[in-house]
Amino acid sequence: MNNDEAKFLLQAYRPHGQDAGDPALADALAQAGRDPALRAWQAREQAFDLVIAEKLASVTPPPDLRAAILAGGRATRPERAWWQTRWLAVAASVALLLAVVGGGRLLFPGATPLPTLGQFALDDTLHGKHGGKGEPMGALQALLGQPSTRLGAGLPVDFAALEATGCRTLSLGGNPLLEICFQREGAVYHLYIMRAGDLPAAAGASSGPELLAQGGASAASWRDGQFAYALVGTGGMDAVKHLL
Amino acid sequence: MSDETFTRLVDQHYPPLYRFALSLARNSADACDLTQQTFYLWATHGHTLRDLTKAKTWLFTTLYREFLRGRRRGARVTSIEELPPGGAELADADLDQARRLDGGLVLAALGGVEEVFRAPLTLFYLEELSYQEIAETLDVPIGTVMSRLARGKAQLRAALAAGVPSAAVVPFPVTERRKQS
Repeated sequence: MNNDEAKFLLQAYRPHGQDAGDPALADALAQAGRDPALRAWQAREQAFDLVIAEKLASVTPPPDLRAAILAGGRATRPERAWWQTRWLAVAASVALLLAVVGGGRLLFPGATPLPTLGQFALDDTLHGKHGGKGEPMGALQALLGQPSTRLGAGLPVDFAALEATGCRTLSLGGNPLLEICFQREGAVYHLYIMRAGDLPAAAGASSGPELLAQGGASAASWRDGQFAYALVGTGGMDAVKHLL
Repeated sequence: MSDETFTRLVDQHYPPLYRFALSLARNSADACDLTQQTFYLWATHGHTLRDLTKAKTWLFTTLYREFLRGRRRGARVTSIEELPPGGAELADADLDQARRLDGGLVLAALGGVEEVFRAPLTLFYLEELSYQEIAETLDVPIGTVMSRLARGKAQLRAALAAGVPSAAVVPFPVTERRKQS
């Protein structure tokens, strides 16, 4: 693949990194990781795309549109025919019966094992929908994007402000987990931050970085006195470790 | 589908659908109408969709089809072969200029992009759909989506560099659709 082909593919890469796990873009992303000129081109393109996407997201629908849609929907949605309702009742009874005779497994499922912070971060990077907004998030994004910033040395994280102003927030073990996408030298990374006290024991990250790789993405997770972190990138483990 | 599910679906999707409609129709009244019409069609036909994870793509596809259906007949559709090649590399000045604009002006600049590029470009910037889903929504091959994104971005930058155009409003016959609701 030459750089023109890589550019052709990369301009379809969404600015918040939603396509980081797309195998069809993996080669182009890897090439951008290796080639400084292509990396610089991608960084400029993505910065521009990010600005346009955020400006577009700031356009708000008229205040009465939602109410009009809901009212229209209630007025027009078809009622279920009697036979559909009866069929559904029968289907529900059969499902309940199967659940009971199935040893109660469906009614009383075992607890799903909690993933580690690193595994959770990897899965979310590969399959999640990324995004977020807010001034505190922008400031942290800018800091993370600077080549001199070492993540392992600690970060100025105001968790409550980030959460309150639109930073993307997920949940691990019932506790909030922030995610911030950022770019460093043309490559996209995802940083996950959780209050150290909120981190479930089963998902624990140690103070030294724990490394994990899956589906073309690499993750490092660690913790300090206040927070637990996981950093995920698709440019290889060395690239991830380089940021710590 | 219960009221609660319908409300959740509306809350989740109506803002980006409205933005997409606004970029296509280029005025708020028609955009509202298109968005409402899309949910009207969901309310009457959407329950036949078995896989609710496909609801987002269904809604964007339906809105786009409704736009095409309602657009004035005989409007010239530019073929790809006639189009100029994509623009030059992005300059720092383009980025600085984009940062200074507000959402309305960016939308106006998008409105200056030819429609064949504007639809995929807006869907790309809404970030709701991957390029594969955009291809499915617009019913074009993936390679065509990528070409149109490249050319659409070039047109958008040209529009921003030239100053945001006062795009002509596309006449959009809404009377027929309003009769349905």
